[in-house]
Order: sequence, then structure tokens, then C-alpha cells
Amino acid sequence: MEKDNHKKLLEVQKLTRRFPGVLALDQVDFDLYSGEVHAVVGENGAGKSTMINILAGVLQPSGGEVFLDGNPIVFHNPADAQQEGISVIFQEFNLIPHLSVSENIFINREPTRNGMIDWKSMNQRAAEALNRLKIEIDPRVPVSTLSVAEQQLVEIARALAFDARVIVMDEPTAALSEREVDNLLRTVGSLAKDNVGVIYVSHKLEEVFRVADRITILRDGAHILTDAASNLDEEKVIYAMVGRALVHGKCPDRTLGEVVLTVKNLEVEDLVRNVSFELRAGEVLGLAGLMGSGANEVIEALFGLRKAQVDEIKLQGQALAINSPRNAIQSRLGYVPNDRKTAGLLPDLSLKQNISIGILERLRKLFWIDSTREYKVAETYRDKLNVRCSSLDQRISNLSGGNQQKVMLARALAEDCKVLLLAEPTRGVDVGAKAEIYSLIDSLVESGMAVLLQSSELPEIIRLANRVMVFSSGQSRKELTGAELTQESVMALATRV
Amino acid sequence: MKNILAKFWKSYSIGVVVVVVGIVLSFLTPRFISLDNLLNVMTNASLVAIMGLGMTLAIASGNFDLSVGSTAALAGCVSFSLVPSIGVTASIAAGLVVGAVVGLINGLIITELRVPAFIATLGMMTIVRGAALIYTDGKDLYLFGQTEYKVLSGTYLFGIPTPILFAVGISLLLGFIVSQTRFGRHILAIGSNFLAAQRSGIPTSRVIWMIFSIVGATAALSGMILSSQVLTANGRLATGIELSAIAVVVLGGTALSGGQSTMVGTLLGALLISMVNNGLNLLNVPIFYQELTVGVLMLGALAVNIGQGFDIRSILRRQA
Repeated sequence: MEKDNHKKLLEVQKLTRRFPGVLALDQVDFDLYSGEVHAVVGENGAGKSTMINILAGVLQPSGGEVFLDGNPIVFHNPADAQQEGISVIFQEFNLIPHLSVSENIFINREPTRNGMIDWKSMNQRAAEALNRLKIEIDPRVPVSTLSVAEQQLVEIARALAFDARVIVMDEPTAALSEREVDNLLRTVGSLAKDNVGVIYVSHKLEEVFRVADRITILRDGAHILTDAASNLDEEKVIYAMVGRALVHGKCPDRTLGEVVLTVKNLEVEDLVRNVSFELRAGEVLGLAGLMGSGANEVIEALFGLRKAQVDEIKLQGQALAINSPRNAIQSRLGYVPNDRKTAGLLPDLSLKQNISIGILERLRKLFWIDSTREYKVAETYRDKLNVRCSSLDQRISNLSGGNQQKVMLARALAEDCKVLLLAEPTRGVDVGAKAEIYSLIDSLVESGMAVLLQSSELPEIIRLANRVMVFSSGQSRKELTGAELTQESVMALATRV
Repeated sequence: MKNILAKFWKSYSIGVVVVVVGIVLSFLTPRFISLDNLLNVMTNASLVAIMGLGMTLAIASGNFDLSVGSTAALAGCVSFSLVPSIGVTASIAAGLVVGAVVGLINGLIITELRVPAFIATLGMMTIVRGAALIYTDGKDLYLFGQTEYKVLSGTYLFGIPTPILFAVGISLLLGFIVSQTRFGRHILAIGSNFLAAQRSGIPTSRVIWMIFSIVGATAALSGMILSSQVLTANGRLATGIELSAIAVVVLGGTALSGGQSTMVGTLLGALLISMVNNGLNLLNVPIFYQELTVGVLMLGALAVNIGQGFDIRSILRRQA
């Protein structure tokens, strides 16, 4: 698309980035004109974040070139990119909470007079930058007193104060209310009018169609298509996003048994409302939804990580009151956290110790741990889950992501749980290990385990779950099974606000 | 080969240093190697080692305790003052209880008020020191004629001073606890990844209370031994010893980042500092230079320790 009086600002050609075991970006072409909002959409793992990180100078490409104003350029670090007028607004902001809005906007470039910070002119110029965006925020208040939406606007004001010509926004509305979203989209529009080029990364299609001039779709690290938004519609985009040859396919036939878990009217703070379901032995119930939709919060509440109100939780007919993870484990709920690094792994402990940590009471002999039995238990689960390691006494941090994840699963299983709560069970795991974990879950379920699965990867949910509840804005919108259950139908429900 | 060397160094570095320093000192001043002097070195090492062993638990759990010096003073004074009325054995027990209670309060401040261990124990360091001074009214306490209290510092079993027996005994006991019991495993899990420990069902608060109670009790024992050596106690006893206690743990190879520990290392760390002090004394090096040397030693140990436990590359990788 050639635009009159808009010139090509940024172009990438054959951009490639390899991580150990993964090709995150595979020869992707992309360009951006001044005064344009160019949306980049794709599922989790499509390569959006990798591309942004390369443009931000955080990551170096393994191949391909970046051109700015037609000249090839290499960003060695984020400062380089910023110097060239590329500002990236990440999901986690780079604001310093205790400093004021103006201090944050002018960080590292504070206007000075006689060697001291010129507060008056700094606050004035900050106010101007905010005014330009029609934002009413006092530049003197600390950033920590602002709402998430306001902080985001401050980030944009900072980008403008840096004379950014290219502003990249990564999932900017993930944490915003509807009204705040409107406000943000208006701001994005006015940026484009000021001839700034905006790269808008999101998987909320409704917003994308409201702001974008052009849309680029990535899938599995590859460029699928780029076209003017007016030539596309939601259906086409969804198809392009998920329309891979469905290598994973659907889940095998599941034989359902007795009801194991009953949840009635679960409410979690103001994040989840009115969720009820039954889970049977031999069943995988999928909880689908975008970030902040409430799907993950349901799992966390059931494991006692969030304060929740519920009319009834029954496990095998017995009423439960869960208020802590310890309590949940004792009630025979097993949990695999969505982020094993921060919430699961005990990195200094061995493989064996990571498996046995929840069952030490059972392994007690007088007042010490029966090391023979501990070894046997660990051995059993290592073999059952096919954990590849040189020894059970190996430090877990030396294992690959896939094997670490199997250990997380082993820990929950060793606790003899009746229901497995899985959150993003294959995050940060390579393709081979992923397939292995899928068939592991299959065989567990076949032997009667009940699984509640939250995943933001659609193919994963379709592959594992025989029934899926689709969440958006804290509510379960619809339950899909059988022929109705497709990636397209889930995506359509999840992106509807 | 390089790997084997690295592993060897990591596990035994402090032992190697102790032996080398011992040999060097023996050459420089033959008096160092005499039996009397060696027992003296080990006795002095034991004083710091005993509270250092408790401290090892705290550090293995990713915390540490700055109040041990003050706890030692309070426990020493309380125990001392009670001897005339309740006798030696009961007053020693009372001292241990005082230490454990101070530790428990530390633990409660950390878990219930959610104050980081650094701040909590820093506050308690001052509070408990104040309490000790108030309790003694700032005066020295003497035990005239109550030489039985010397049992803590003097009695010889096979000719070995009691503090050494205590240090070795406690290191064996705590070593067993850390490596073989549920409580020990919980300590390491908490030190390795607190959030993960919580989510694997560990009663983290209770574990922290226990850890700090033990630290308090070991500090109390050190304090009582210290006062029994001279049969005097006062509110200023063991001032500044908390830093030495942390230093011997780090010297011994327990990582400040938590998740692992070595009791033998802590013993050897205390021995090393005691040897260096003693050697410099014998060589007539002025006391100020001794302080300086010990400081350099600690910095060196910290630098090496951090180099082992803290890999900057892994952080960069996580960023990517």
C-alpha cells in the first residue's frame, strides 16, 4: 500500500530469530509508513513478541535486516532503538513508581538549570506532552497513584517526549476497562494524525479493526498475510490466525465416569462471576479465554491462591472449603502452575526432592525422611512420565523445560490428587515435549483422572479438552463440545467483549 | 577435568584454605601448632561457630538474623542473674528459652507483619540490646563462688573444652536435620523458591518460626558460654558479633541466596577466622590490622560465594 505524502518509515526483511529448539521468527517481512496504524495479530507463540523485542533492541535477530528510512540499521540495545525514535510500550511498564509523572517522562533527560533539575520547566513541558494527548493528569503526582490505564498514557507521553516516530504497543488493552480502551484507541488515532507510525500488537480483533489501517498476521513465527483492514473481516483474520493444518487435531474419545468435582457459583473478587460446572472422572474440561478473561483466575481460586466466594465446592461428594494451597493439596487437588520458574521449581533442590516435596509426611520414618522410599517414589514417577535425566539427584535447574514441566506434573501426581488443575501446561516447552505431555495427559485421563485445563493456546485446548468453557470479561460465555468445538468458534467467543 | 576441579574447589575450598593457612602459620610462628594453642583457637572458633550454625539455617532459608549478638547478651545476663535462685542447670535452660523466644518473635514479625528479615532483625537487635541493658541496669553481673557455671566453658571431656564439643555436636545435629528431615527439606525449599514452597503445601510461616527459634537458642548458648568464660555478664556482651556469625557462614560456602547449606563449612569458616586472628596475635600484629585482615577475608569469601551462586549469564538469558 503506497500512501501519498506518507513515507515508508520502517521495514524489516526476512527477519529470523532462533531460540534453542524453536524458530520463533521465520523470514518475516514487515513495513510501516508514517501516519499509519499497522496491527500485528497472532496467537500466543506466533512470534509477535519476538518481533517487537527485536525492534526494541532487546533481542538480536539471527537473520534478516531492519531498515529505517531506507537505511539498514542494527539495534544493539534498547537505547539504540530509542535514539532512532522507536519507542516500545511493553505490557509491563518501564515506569518508576515512586517518581512523579514528569520525572518519568523526562527520565535521564531532565531539563536543568545551573546544574540542578529545573522542576518548573520539566513540569510545564510534561503538561504540554500530556495535553497533546488530551490527557488530564497532574504531572507532579507519583506514578504509583495512577491507574494502569493512566500509566499507559504516561508511557505514550514519554514516547512522544522522546520524539518517537515509531511507537510499538504490546497488548495495550490487556488490563483496561471498556471506557479506558475507548480513550486509548482515540489516542492511538491522534498519534497517527501527527504522522507517527504505530505498530499495534493485539489479539483482540474488535479493537484491531477499530484502529488499524493495515493488519499483518503471524502464525508459528511465519508471516501469513498483510492487507488493508478494509479488505479483511474478523472471520478471515481468525482463519488466518488459527488455520494451520490442524496437526494436533481433536482429543481422543474420552470415557466419562462419575462426577468428581462440582463447583457452584464461583466468584473471584471482581475478576470472575457466577461460574458453575461439574467435572467427571476421565474428563478434560478446558477453560479458554484471553488474558484477564477469568479462565486462569478460576484455577487459581480453586487452588486457594485467590480469595473466592462459592456456593458449593464438592470433591467426590464431600464439601470443601479451600483457603490455601496447603489446604487444596490436602483436599487432593493437584496443581501445575502456569509459570513453573516463579511458582513451581525449587531450583536448588534435586529432581527427586522436587517430586517428593509435597509428600514428605508420608515418607516419614520416625522423625526423618525414608530416603529409600523417597528414591523409589521419584523413580516411579520419573519412569511413568518419562523424565529424561542423568540421575534423580541431579539439580532440577539443569533439566530442559519439558522435563522440568514433567517434574511439576509428577509432584502433583505423587500427592495422589483426584483432580489435576493445569494452567498453561506446555508453556516454554519445545514441540517434542509438548506432544509427549499431551499423550501423558491422555493416559492419565484414560485411567480416570479428572483434569481442569486452562490454556491460552487454542490448538492445545482443542487437542486435550472434550468440553470447553469460553471466558471473557470474567464470565463463562458458552460451553462448547463435539462438532461445535473448533478453534474458530472458541476464538470468536473469546474475542467478543 | 576442569569440571572435577571446579566441583572439588566448591565443596572443599574452605577446607583447603584452612589447611594452607594452618601450614603457613606453623612455619611463621611455631607456637601456633602447639596443642594448647590449637585448643585455644578452636575454642574461640566455637563461640562464633555455635551461633553461626543456627545462622546457617536462617541463611539456607533465604533469611538472616542480625539480632544474634543482642540475643546472646540478653540470654547471658538473664541466665547469669538466675543462678543464685534456681541453680546452674535451670538457669542455663532459662537462657536457652530466652533465646528461643526472641527468635520466635523475630519469626512472627517476619511472617505476620510481613517485614523483611533484614529490617525485622535489625529492629530486634536494638530492642533486645536495650532490654539487656535495662535488665542489668547497665551494670556488670558477677557470679562469686558459682564456678559451676564454668561447666559451659571449662569442663574437659577427654581433655577437650566444652565449647568445641557443643560446636561439633550442634553441627552434626543441624546437619542431620537439614539433610534428612522434613523440616530441613522445608527450609531448603523456602530458601530456594518461597512462592513454589508455599504452593507445594509447605507451612512456610511455621517453618520460619522454628528456624528463628533455633537461631535464637544457638545465639543464647554462645552468649552463655561467653559469659561463663569470665564469669561476668553485662548488657554489652557480644556486641557486633552478628556480622562475624554471618561471615563464617558465608566463608563456609553457604550461599546467601538460600536453598543450600553446609554445617561443616560453617565450622571451618569460624575456624579460619579464629586461626587468622590467633596467628596475627602471635606474630604481634597490632589489633587494628587484624580487623582489617578479617574484613578482607570476608570480602574475598563473599566475592567467591556470589561468583558461585549467582550467575549473571542466567539472568541475561532470562531477559531474552
